[in-house]
Amino acid sequence: MRAFAVAFFLAAPLALFAQHGRYFRDSHHPSIGNPEAIATGTKLFMGSCAGCHGPDGGGGARGPNLVRRSLWHPLSDEAIFQVIRKGVPGTDMPPTKLGDEQTWNLVAFIHALTGPASANPVPGDAAAGKAVYWGAKAGCSSCHAIHGEGGRLGPDLSNIGGSRPLAVIRESVVEPAKDLAYLGNEAATVVLKNGTTLEGAAKNRSNYSLQLVDKQGKLHLLQMRDVKQLTLSESSPMPADYAKRLTKEELRDLLAYLADQDIRKGSK
Amino acid sequence: MARTTVWTLTLALAASAQVRHEDIAKGALADWLTYAGTYSGWRYSPLKQINAENAKNMVAKWVYHVPNARGLRSSPIVHEGVLYITDTNSVYAVDARSGRLVWRYADPRAQKGGVNRGAAIWGNRIYFTTSDNFLVALDRQSGVLIFNKQFADVEKGTTSTSVPLIAKGKVIVGSAGGDSGMRGFIMALSAETGDELWKTYTVPAKGEKGSETWGDLIEWGGGAAWLSGTYDPGLDMLYWTTGNPWPDYNGSVRQGDNLYTCSLLALDLDSGKMNWYFQFTPHDTHDWDAQSWPVLMDTEIRGQQRKVVLHANRNGFFYALDRVTGEFLRATQLIDKVTWAKGIDDKGRPVPAGNSEPTPQGNWVCPSVKGATNWMGQSYNPGTGLLYVLTLEQCGMYFSSSQQPQPMKNFSGGGATEEGGQVVLRALDPKTGRRVWEYPMTGFGRMWTGTVSTAGGVIFTGDDDGHMVALDAKNGKNLWHFNVGELLTASPVT
Ligand code: HEC
Ligand code: HEC
Repeated sequence: MRAFAVAFFLAAPLALFAQHGRYFRDSHHPSIGNPEAIATGTKLFMGSCAGCHGPDGGGGARGPNLVRRSLWHPLSDEAIFQVIRKGVPGTDMPPTKLGDEQTWNLVAFIHALTGPASANPVPGDAAAGKAVYWGAKAGCSSCHAIHGEGGRLGPDLSNIGGSRPLAVIRESVVEPAKDLAYLGNEAATVVLKNGTTLEGAAKNRSNYSLQLVDKQGKLHLLQMRDVKQLTLSESSPMPADYAKRLTKEELRDLLAYLADQDIRKGSK
Repeated sequence: MARTTVWTLTLALAASAQVRHEDIAKGALADWLTYAGTYSGWRYSPLKQINAENAKNMVAKWVYHVPNARGLRSSPIVHEGVLYITDTNSVYAVDARSGRLVWRYADPRAQKGGVNRGAAIWGNRIYFTTSDNFLVALDRQSGVLIFNKQFADVEKGTTSTSVPLIAKGKVIVGSAGGDSGMRGFIMALSAETGDELWKTYTVPAKGEKGSETWGDLIEWGGGAAWLSGTYDPGLDMLYWTTGNPWPDYNGSVRQGDNLYTCSLLALDLDSGKMNWYFQFTPHDTHDWDAQSWPVLMDTEIRGQQRKVVLHANRNGFFYALDRVTGEFLRATQLIDKVTWAKGIDDKGRPVPAGNSEPTPQGNWVCPSVKGATNWMGQSYNPGTGLLYVLTLEQCGMYFSSSQQPQPMKNFSGGGATEEGGQVVLRALDPKTGRRVWEYPMTGFGRMWTGTVSTAGGVIFTGDDDGHMVALDAKNGKNLWHFNVGELLTASPVT
């Protein structure tokens, strides 16, 4: 008997996208999102907190990465307020004696830090960063597209500033593969039984099928039974040496350019 | 085994072929390149591997769960083995052989939620609209964003649910939001850049011709164009339907016919100019949007060969018009129980039966607010010469409210209930408008799926109990069913 196949779509509650940023409803405190409060908060943070948490909240020797922590352990603005006030007993996180207003300024700064980069003032020159991004020294565009221009091996960066906190973007650039984001996006070389060899990024690989976007951006739908040999890269295809390859200024400007990539920029 | 080889080979040869106007105009085959399969709205496929004899052997192959989705309204676009489906502010590209995700695009910062009816394809790009009226173009192979451009302002009550139709490089989009006050329009945007090419309002501005059919609220008159339309490449004409006038159930504040709501508009593809209109339900007070697909075909009506457009309408009647001139040719009753009109006169205007307006206490009227049919999509099969329409035998109570209408405050001037009801799939003869056979379904009148039919002589649809079914296109005999576990909410493709 010959069986025919039909495909179905079902709608079902199935949770969890990797959502970056905050989960809790924003508080209505007037300092949140207020540029002056954020600026004052920045100064306070540099003076009292950066020593442990790093200047961009990205973590240091004695304090955790506040941005990354907010991804798996989100705190409401009120909870952050209380942590700053009371510290975390039994750990290095000290209580403070700051007044309400100063404390809220710090909360505003942390709130901004963990929100999309495009929503916050970012140091550096985005125009200079654009030249770095598209230039040969960094070569970002050979793998990444912005508004359709550029390679297809890496993720689309058209909305990177609109979807990721600055510290997370920085980490993706200087320490790729740290969070294994490349899993599901592995660099792969596939030799087919018919002799063809394909190279590119393997997406959503299963035991039975594989989808490969090659270096020209062409999609190949492959069945594992047609594959003779599959070689997957152990690490991210993204170069790991940008912290060294680029100067401090180049990196800062590059990040300012990336922070500016927001598909909803200028829309209400 | 042989089949697999052919399949892979086809893919390799066709790889990276751009989708051109001619490809869409050809109609469905291995690919399904526009929402209704063909520009003429047929939901018909010339594929015939599955036929009335072997349909019983079908087995489920895979299931893809769209994360967090509830009641998807999207009908997939298929090209080179990839399915493109949409949900609210998101697109999924799925490997048709395995049901594995290829890529996903989501814009969680869109200002609105709400349903989305699907994607369109052109060149190497996939297009869809966000609920807050951005046209988004994505690279079909990688999902990379090419552009997103806003074409309308949510602040004016407009949202977007419709599936774009692409013809000759023009992306035609519509406007939703007609139940809470807005001014409906249809727009053509450049597929290349997203720039506006033309915009045609479905409700005239004050002082314009047609505005005499309104009162003071004309600027919020509704007439949303929330579905999509069909297209005749020969005449270069678009056929687009419009929704209800606002406030939905309170007609006293908008005396007159309320042009061009609850109508079919014939627009010139290049300019957007309205060549003709036909209003099915003048001065509607029952939320009977005309959203149901205008099906284009040529047939003989009363001894004369005609280019016709067929329209099964929510108001309970099945219409045939001349699609060149808009001339009314015929209307027959689509469902058994219609109480608001005695019939349609020879100009195409309903003959009111009286006592069918919404009232403060509620008035019992047939059909119900869901309508005798809806947006789901009918199928015309040139093999059998029949049109397959899901119809709903249902009545309901219609209430009016004397509250002051307030635009954009979710106010519809009253309300309606739907009670009981039965879904019946009906095969209609386009020549006469008469029923040839019908397939009554058990259930409670809650399904929202359309039909697709094939050269294999099979109709695929969903029933009112959550089954996917295959019927014999000749006589409606059930050939196969499969319980998908919940009601289907959109139309199948093959
Ligand atoms: C001496 C080092 C140190 C200093 C100074 C310090 N912190 Fe911390 N902070 C920590 C440590 C360690 C933790 C983690 C506590 C734990 O294990 O839960 C922490 C936790 C936090 C948290 C909670 C994170 C979470 O997700 O639960 C916030 C918010 C925070 N610090 C903000 C600040 C701010 C604002 C300042 C400056 C006023 C500051 N910290 C100063 C070491 C420090
Ligand atoms: C050889 C290809 C390649 C080059 C060159 C490359 N990247 Fe990547 N990049 C990738 C891949 C693949 C990933 C996804 C896997 C990962 O995160 O490691 C990625 C991830 C990223 C991410 C994280 C994206 C996200 O959605 O979270 C950012 C940001 C990024 N790259 C920026 C850059 C910048 C900026 C440059 C140039 C300085 C660059 N990349 C150069 C391949 C590349």
